[in-house]
Amino acid sequence: MSDAPVVETVELTKVYGDFTALDHLSIRLEKGQILGFIGPNGAGKTTTIKILVGLIRPTSGKASIGGVDCTADARKIKHLVGYMPDTFGSYDNMRVREYLDFFGAAFKIPRKQRQDRINASLAITGAAHMADLYVESLSHGMKQRVAIARTLLHDPPVLILDEPANGLDPAARVEMREILLNLAQRGKTLIVTSHILPELARICNMVAIMTHGKLRAFGTLDQIMQNVRHQRMIEIQLLSEDDVVQAAAILRENLGEGATVTESPSEMMVRFNTTGNEQSLAVALQRLVSAQVRVSQFREMQQDLEDAFLSVTQQTKTEIAAGEAQA
Amino acid sequence: MNNPIIRREFIGALRKPNVAALEVVWLAILAAVIILRWPAGGRVNLAGTQAQQVLSLLSWTILVGMMLVAPAFPAASVVAEKRSGTLALLLNSPLSPAAIYRGKLIGALGLPMILMLLTIPAMTACFAMGGVSLVHQVLPLYLIFILVALESAAVGLYVSIRANDVDSAIRLTYAVLFVLDLLLLIPYRLVVNTQDPTFLLVGRWLASFSPLPALLHVLGSNSIHAGNSVSGGESVITRFVICSLVLSGVLGLLSIQRLGQWLFDRPRASGKVTDERSTQVRAYRRIMYLWFFDPQRRSGLIGPLSNPVMVKEFRTSRFGRSHWMMRLVGICLIVSLGLMLAAAYGSMTFQPQTLGELMVMFQVMLIVLITPSLSAGLISSELQNKSWQLLRVTPLSPASIVLGKLLSVCRTLLLLLFATLPGYAVMLVIDKGQADRVVTVLITLGLIALFCLLVSSAISSWFRKTAQATALAYALLLGLFGGTLVFWAGRGTLFSLSLVAGILQFNPLAAALATIHAPGFADYNFVLTNWWFMLTVMGVAAVVLVFRTWRLTRPD
Repeated sequence: MSDAPVVETVELTKVYGDFTALDHLSIRLEKGQILGFIGPNGAGKTTTIKILVGLIRPTSGKASIGGVDCTADARKIKHLVGYMPDTFGSYDNMRVREYLDFFGAAFKIPRKQRQDRINASLAITGAAHMADLYVESLSHGMKQRVAIARTLLHDPPVLILDEPANGLDPAARVEMREILLNLAQRGKTLIVTSHILPELARICNMVAIMTHGKLRAFGTLDQIMQNVRHQRMIEIQLLSEDDVVQAAAILRENLGEGATVTESPSEMMVRFNTTGNEQSLAVALQRLVSAQVRVSQFREMQQDLEDAFLSVTQQTKTEIAAGEAQA
Repeated sequence: MNNPIIRREFIGALRKPNVAALEVVWLAILAAVIILRWPAGGRVNLAGTQAQQVLSLLSWTILVGMMLVAPAFPAASVVAEKRSGTLALLLNSPLSPAAIYRGKLIGALGLPMILMLLTIPAMTACFAMGGVSLVHQVLPLYLIFILVALESAAVGLYVSIRANDVDSAIRLTYAVLFVLDLLLLIPYRLVVNTQDPTFLLVGRWLASFSPLPALLHVLGSNSIHAGNSVSGGESVITRFVICSLVLSGVLGLLSIQRLGQWLFDRPRASGKVTDERSTQVRAYRRIMYLWFFDPQRRSGLIGPLSNPVMVKEFRTSRFGRSHWMMRLVGICLIVSLGLMLAAAYGSMTFQPQTLGELMVMFQVMLIVLITPSLSAGLISSELQNKSWQLLRVTPLSPASIVLGKLLSVCRTLLLLLFATLPGYAVMLVIDKGQADRVVTVLITLGLIALFCLLVSSAISSWFRKTAQATALAYALLLGLFGGTLVFWAGRGTLFSLSLVAGILQFNPLAAALATIHAPGFADYNFVLTNWWFMLTVMGVAAVVLVFRTWRLTRPD
């Protein structure tokens, strides 16, 4: 993998009146990487994407793809990016092959090559059987495949897909995941936004978390998870409801104010989060055993991208609330 | 008002800011009509001539207003709900299809009724002048207006239930009403000189679907065109009442029948192409459709010299495919040949000027009716469907997009214009001296086509909804081509001849009719002024279109 970034934004900012949609965003992606771009609605993901594909001009900062400036050379950018917006943008009364033919011709793909490119794009996305169907008659999942096939027509090095898994059933989601991994294997750099975080975690090797126009976390999935892991979630399985009450009381007494202890008598379970190390966990377990609480399991829960996302957004909310209180 | 749909439709319509604007404009128009013909110096003709003139102008204004406004909301009403998914929720509620239809119909009639109430002050002012009968004129006039609104709403709802998108529903509704209100008058016009009672009866009843004969009858004129009577044994008004009620009732029943759960019970198009069918089917379709015109043919790739946007427009437009184009051209040829036949049989009654008048009217009507429907959605539909951003991420230049879109409509218009040429050939056979005039008319028609195309396209680039762009394009073009003829109809009585001549010089239809020396237009000569007017507007429209397209393709 070369060090030259395929996609790079430097201090990218977009301001609408007194609203900052994007605040000094700096990210860097290399060839073959898949970036999972996550954040709540209105976080600035679509604004970033639209700047990258040349649909929006940034207020300040720089965005480039393959070294080409996204604002100054929007014409070249169009050849370098395959963009799939969150809406399909269908043309009624048109068959899939005609739809792709139009975009192929728009990208000035010579007629001789166009048929092969259409067939290849449809084959990669598993949509070859849809070639003669009318676009408006396709189901949502089928449309998503055709939309990805469209982005592949001119063979761009970077694909930007806005919510490709949105509205897909589980089977279609698995297929979509395979399509995206296949594209990355072919050397494409992908930027994918999604609200389905477990799906993203399975395909992305880079993650960017945004809230309120700001980049809150950026790095490989492991780096992001390590940042989140400063808080560990422990789950204790007990044998009776009395044990649950007793264990919760002991933990609250010993873990201090920073820890959150939750009881679930119906599951006979107590959960708590802590910033403590292995030593402090051993002490907590010892206290429970000494107090004759009957513990059947004591385990650390695995955290995923969803926890990372929630942790980052929660942290942001706290910061904003603190800022407002100060003001 | 117990029906929740009535409440929602009616109040929903009243909440729209453009409805408030419409009411203000409506009141201003009514006030202008009254002020325009209000007797100067406070003196009124005791014979009631001035009052009748005011009543006539006011009635025409209300009728045209009803014809334009009443169909708009019902035409979009059901199909919009179908598209947004709320119709399924309504059908899933305890409301019966009849209750839904009733709610939609009454809700749709709300706005026309308000507009009609707003006409009462103007009508009262007219009545106060004296010489106007309440029983024989005012009440029948309101009956006609109410029936026009009812008929328009019934047609609009029926089309809306069957249509698949809002734009086509609106276009089709206006097209159907155009046929009912104007085209059905033509058969009577053609058979009026024959003495065949069956033809006369059929022609008379067909004409009774239109409110125009009834309105003219109430206003004291029995003519629908050049002094030809449509009054028969029974009253013209009675016939109109019967026709409009029967039509509204039948359409209502059909609509209720259609408004069932099975409205959505449609399979997805299988997309089967002829190339994949059995040998027999393939052979049959290739012969029957002459291969090229087969709608199920697998189309070839876009050629290197073709503008991709133009080809895309042909393929996405419902009537852009070759088989539809051929159907349209076929209809034009049949009409053209019909006119030739009529000229051959009726050479005693048809003068070349009359034939020319019919040809010009027919072609201008086609152009004015078809062009906005093809071009008012060129840009707006892309913005509405959000496919514009896909165009923006392609390397297509704004010039290429504009050119492709305009060419797609130009081809259709050219085919339409060429299809009606045989009629002019007949004119020249009858009278060779008409050659110069025919050439001038053909140039005018070409300019009219380009004029309508550029104006509609420029409007399209300013709107994000095709329905709005189409409505404005139609309003402007119909106002220019048809609205200014109202002044011509009232020449010498309501309006001075100089005013009429001044206004008509901006009407391209009047210029073409004047060139062909059509009856009533022979005294005018303003073709050059009109050409300059059209060229100026076309220039402005082209600049607007290119600028807007360029702006829309730029980064935000």
